[in-house]
Amino acid sequence: MDNNIDFKDLWKKQSVSQPNFEDLLTRLKQFKKSALRSLWITNVLLIATSIFVAVIWYYYQPQFVSTKIGIIITILTMMMYLVIYNRLLNAYNNIDSTQTNQEYVQNLISIKKKQHYLQSTILSLYFVLLTIGLCLYMYEYASRMTVFWAIFTYAMTLFWMGINWFFIRPKQIKKQQAKINNLIEKFEDVSNQLH
Amino acid sequence: MEFENIYKTYWDRIFRLCMGFVNDYDAAQDLAQETFIIVWQKLDTFRNESSIGTWIFRIASNNCLRQIEKNKRFPKSELPVHIIEEKQTSLEPQIQFLYKCIAELPETERIIISLELEDVRQTEIAKIVGLSETNTRVKIHRIKEKLTQKFKENGQ
Repeated sequence: MDNNIDFKDLWKKQSVSQPNFEDLLTRLKQFKKSALRSLWITNVLLIATSIFVAVIWYYYQPQFVSTKIGIIITILTMMMYLVIYNRLLNAYNNIDSTQTNQEYVQNLISIKKKQHYLQSTILSLYFVLLTIGLCLYMYEYASRMTVFWAIFTYAMTLFWMGINWFFIRPKQIKKQQAKINNLIEKFEDVSNQLH
Repeated sequence: MEFENIYKTYWDRIFRLCMGFVNDYDAAQDLAQETFIIVWQKLDTFRNESSIGTWIFRIASNNCLRQIEKNKRFPKSELPVHIIEEKQTSLEPQIQFLYKCIAELPETERIIISLELEDVRQTEIAKIVGLSETNTRVKIHRIKEKLTQKFKENGQ
């Protein structure tokens, strides 16, 4: 075998079937629809939560400031989580794909690193704020109970939050981090190929 | 240039680039389609700073790099297996071997050699990948050597 294998010729002999242009247009339309739908779902969820809380506020007429603060903290926490998560996802989906490969991979890495940091921090913050919010919220109702039931209610709530904090949260973080670390490593490997 | 024209002119070239990257007919078809979805979305942001070819190849190669993340999503779908088999048996083994060898290279080398085989000028390849021209030339030379070596070992 000589040294001059005609790679170009072989390369171009690969069979190719170009899908119908109409098919592509259908796919484009589907794509547009699904992008719109996900935007809708996020917003509907946010609005529904807010309305739900407003209704509680209106019907039960909380007397204590602590209840109101509790409600606000809880809502803000959930909103914060949703908004941050969505913005990160958006940033990731909208990386400018017309850059050079090198710049593009650098961007992927930096966003993944940000995500790595945010996921653990935000998730912890989320749990802390949610616990504080709930405890404040419950105070008004607990104060009307007998001491035994008030303590029992708080104990049960804190027990449940404790399980979340000590078992579910670390597990969740570990799972997410492993996935992201793996990706960062791969992208860094690709980036190193370009040096 | 109009989208339909771009699609007709570039589909084959983009498909081969994706095929060189994944060496899987279905996955390459998906990647090529995704590329054209991005092209369609971004077409009005295209300014003639670079040639449209460079621009499209950048999108396509970046999209290929990105699929590293989705890798697990690619267990081949159940349905079209038969179609693939038909297509592949009709391919000359040498062509198959070439694509297999390319898909086994490191990711960026796959892109570089695919562009070279696609007759993209080396100055353009450098602009797509983000390397200097000298560096690109050296890389292309080395990759070709690697491929030749593999072909020899395989007795193709």
